[in-house]
Amino acid sequence: MKKVKLIYEGKAKRVYSTEEDDKFIIEFKDSATAFDGLKKAEIQGKGEANCAISSKIFELLTIKGVRNHYIERLNEREMLVRSVKIFPIEVIIRNRVAGSMAKRLGLEEGRKLEKPILEFCYKSDELHDPMINEDHISALGLASPEELITIKDTSLKTNQILIEFFKLCHLDLVDMKFEFGKDSSGEIYLADEISPDTCRLWELGTTESWDKDRFRRDLGGVEEAYNEVKKRVLETPVESKTRILIRLKQGILDAQGSVILNALKSLGFNEVLEVRVGKLLEIKLDRKVDEAGRIERMCKELLANPVMEDYEWEWIEE
Amino acid sequence: MNFGIVVFPGSNCDRDCYYVIKEILNQPARFIWHQETDLNGIDCVILPGGFSYGDYLRAGAIARFSPVMSEVKEFADRGGLIVGICNGFQILTEAGLLPGALGRNKGLKFICRYVSLRVERNDTPFTTEYRRGDIIRMPIAHNEGNYYIDNPDKIRNQVVLRYYGENPNGAIDDIAGIVNERGNVFGLMPHPERCSEKILGSEDGLKIFKSIVRAL
Repeated sequence: MKKVKLIYEGKAKRVYSTEEDDKFIIEFKDSATAFDGLKKAEIQGKGEANCAISSKIFELLTIKGVRNHYIERLNEREMLVRSVKIFPIEVIIRNRVAGSMAKRLGLEEGRKLEKPILEFCYKSDELHDPMINEDHISALGLASPEELITIKDTSLKTNQILIEFFKLCHLDLVDMKFEFGKDSSGEIYLADEISPDTCRLWELGTTESWDKDRFRRDLGGVEEAYNEVKKRVLETPVESKTRILIRLKQGILDAQGSVILNALKSLGFNEVLEVRVGKLLEIKLDRKVDEAGRIERMCKELLANPVMEDYEWEWIEE
Repeated sequence: MNFGIVVFPGSNCDRDCYYVIKEILNQPARFIWHQETDLNGIDCVILPGGFSYGDYLRAGAIARFSPVMSEVKEFADRGGLIVGICNGFQILTEAGLLPGALGRNKGLKFICRYVSLRVERNDTPFTTEYRRGDIIRMPIAHNEGNYYIDNPDKIRNQVVLRYYGENPNGAIDDIAGIVNERGNVFGLMPHPERCSEKILGSEDGLKIFKSIVRAL
C-alpha cells in the first residue's frame, strides 16, 4: 500500500490517503507539543514507540470485540487504518484524579474515583478544546444520540479492557483520551492512537509517570519512558482464541454429509437440502508477536489441505 | 542396491516390506527411524503403510514434519527412487512430493480386500516387470484412499495404476497409483508387499520390487 497524499498533519502524526478510498496510512512523528503548542520538542524514538504500542493495543481491542480503525502495522512508524471521518469530539475517561481535573476541582492527584468519569471536549485548537456535555453534542449535531451511546459504551468497555491489560504491564491506567470516527456506511470506529501521548500511565502502586507528563512537567527520562512502555506492552502476552473451520471444498463429495442428510430425512426433516461436515479447531494464542497473517499460514501450512479443503477463521470474542 | 524403509511411529507394514526385499529378493535393506537424517548409501526409500501419528489431523499430515522427511525431499530432488505405499502415499501427497490428496473413502468404511488394477505405465522404474494393460490383483487396506485432484487432466500421463472393474473408494479417474513428473517418486494405495509370495495367494506385487531392483 502506497501513500498518495498528505491529508492531515497534526502535532504527533501525519495522515495520508492511499490507493484505496477506504484506507489511510498514519505516520507517527517524533515531535511532541504540550500546552497548546507552547512547548515543543523532538523525542527520539517516540514515533516508533507509539506506533508499536498503538498497534498492539488495537490488536488486543480487536480480539476483545472493540471495533477500531486499525488494519495492520506497515513498518516501524506507519500503520494502515480504515479511513473514517473523525467526530469533532475528544472523549476523556478518568479512573483517578489527575491533570486538568485536579486543577479544575482543586483535588489532589492520585485519588481513585468511585467509578470511571467520561468527559467530552470540543476539538478546536483555537478554543483550546473546551469541555462540553452530552446536550451540547446532540444539540449542535456533533453526534446523534444513538452515535453517542455507541461512543460512550465503547469508551467504557475499552477502559475496562485496558485497565486489565496495563495492570499486566505493571502500569496503572489513570486516564486517557479517545477519538472516534465513522466510515461511509455510518459504522463507528475507535480511531486515532492509544499510547503514552494519549494515556496517563503510572507505575502500579505509585504516582511515578511513564507517559507524556514526563515531558509536560520536565521530569526527565522522556525517551526512556516511551521505550519502557513500549517494551512492557510488547512483552505482555495477550491471550486470544481463534476458531478455525475446515471443510471439504464445494464440489467435492462429502460422504458423511450425505449420510447425515439421509438420516435427517428419515426422521422427517424433509426441509434439509444439504449437509456439509467439517472440522472445528479452537486455538489459544499468546500474541506477543504482532505479525499479521500467522493464522493464515497455520491453515495453509498444516491445518487444512488446500487440495481438497477450504478454511475460514475468526477471533473468539470474550 | 540398498533399500531404506522409513519407520514412523504408527507404521505397521515396515517389516513386511523388509521381509520381501531381504528374504524374497535377497537385497540389502535397513530400517530408518523417522528421527534419523542419514540416507547415505540408500538407493531406494520406502515409506510403508500404517497409521503414522495415529492419522491425527489428516492421514500423513504430521509425518511430513518428521526429521527424516527433509532428507527424503532432498533425496527425491537428487533423483533417488521413492515408493510410498498406502499411508506412505498419503505422506507423499501431504509433503508435496506427489500432486493431489487422499480423502475419506466414498463409502465411509475402512476397506480391506483384494481389488483389480490395470497397469497404465510400464516405463517407470517401478513397473518395468509388467506389461502395459496388465490386469493385476492386489490387496488394499485403507480408510482414506479417495484420490482427489482438482484437474485430473494435468496428471493424466502420471497415472501408473488404475482400479479396474470397480472403484472401491471413489478415487477420481479410478486413480490407484501415480508418479511425479520426473518419474522417480511413486505412490500407490494397494499393498504390493502383501502379495509378493505364492503362499499369500498372489505374487502380483513382487514385480514392483523386482522392477526397482532392475532399475538400480
